[in-house]
Amino acid sequence: MSKLNKIPKKSTWVDMTAFVDVAFLILSFFMLATKFKPPEVVKIDNPKSVSSENQPEKDVFKVSFDKEGRVFVSYSTDQDGKEKAKLTAEVLSRQKGLGLTPADIATFVKFSVGGIGVPVEKLKGFLQLSDEEYKSFKQPGIPVQDTLNNQLNDYLNALLTGTGGRKPENVMLNGDNGTTYPYFKNVLAAFKKNGIFSFKLITSLEGVPEGTPLYKTRKEQSKK
Amino acid sequence: MGADVSAPDSGGHKKGPGVKKQARKDTKVDMTPMVDLGFLLITFFVFTTTMSTPKAFKLNVPDDSAKDEEKSEAKASGAFTVLLSKENHVYYYEGQLAPDGSNFKSSNFKDIRAELLRKKANTPEKDLVVIIKPNETAVYKNVVDMLDEMTITEIKRYAVVDIFPGEVDLIKATEAGAPAAPGGK
Repeated sequence: MSKLNKIPKKSTWVDMTAFVDVAFLILSFFMLATKFKPPEVVKIDNPKSVSSENQPEKDVFKVSFDKEGRVFVSYSTDQDGKEKAKLTAEVLSRQKGLGLTPADIATFVKFSVGGIGVPVEKLKGFLQLSDEEYKSFKQPGIPVQDTLNNQLNDYLNALLTGTGGRKPENVMLNGDNGTTYPYFKNVLAAFKKNGIFSFKLITSLEGVPEGTPLYKTRKEQSKK
Repeated sequence: MGADVSAPDSGGHKKGPGVKKQARKDTKVDMTPMVDLGFLLITFFVFTTTMSTPKAFKLNVPDDSAKDEEKSEAKASGAFTVLLSKENHVYYYEGQLAPDGSNFKSSNFKDIRAELLRKKANTPEKDLVVIIKPNETAVYKNVVDMLDEMTITEIKRYAVVDIFPGEVDLIKATEAGAPAAPGGK
């Protein structure tokens, strides 16, 4: 030991400044690039497409269906979206005799951001849930399988009746990769029945394959 | 360092002209907690961030209640029908389906593009129409991929139509003896 002690002790100090610089650079990148995920109660895996148009955020009415074919409706958080959610609840309550109180309707607006997927007759009970219960509650989805009892139709009809036929600016369809075609078809049927013929599918970006006509067109456009 | 600042210096004797400079204090700061905090925040943002913003794919569907005169009639020669089935199976035929099913061919998502482009090159533009028929077992992804294929190949006229029972049977018969197709794109 005595020998070892004679070696002059070197300082263990490391200059961390560069490290901190990098750390904060990355931190600021993520802070600027981040966009918080809206609260979704259902996990949906979107298909890919070459479309490069960004998803709109204003005045959105969204229909989602997950792998099991559960259908949900949701509205954007802006004023237009809230207004439309409120109108839907009011008209739905009146048409179907649900007897929703103003408090229930406020809950509908609150839940509508994350998604509402319950049959019309169960709506009243569903709106009694607390925020915590809502998150853990497994919603059965709006029934669409049966053409005669396509309840998405009721939701859409209530929405359009409430707005006096004015359609939401952005009708979005958020579908899962693994959902079988009949569900998609039934959702489309409900859209068509209510006069919605133009809407947008939510997809994630995919590169245009080289050598295809679209690839050539896009290349020419980018040259100009 | 300012002369008036009463820094806790070790000597404690008076400062003034002529007095030797104070011993320089170490300016090093322990950055470890700062780094800790920095990385904690990074981790937080990495986990909460959504990198790929979703895109919107426009889709217009026809009004089924439109009058028949308004519906555009498809010429059989320019028709190209794509059938979608389970496990990413793709089948197609040109024109009308032969009664014996001889022009019914099997394909996949990789090869169908070449077929579509060939058809597009051989057909006058006004006659070309692609009909997409997913069966009960096709998934949403297949349909969107096919619609996307229309964008990629710049085919302007296409329609998603319900499948006929005869075609369903034909797919069933083919799938009974065919190996599984490779996965979608």
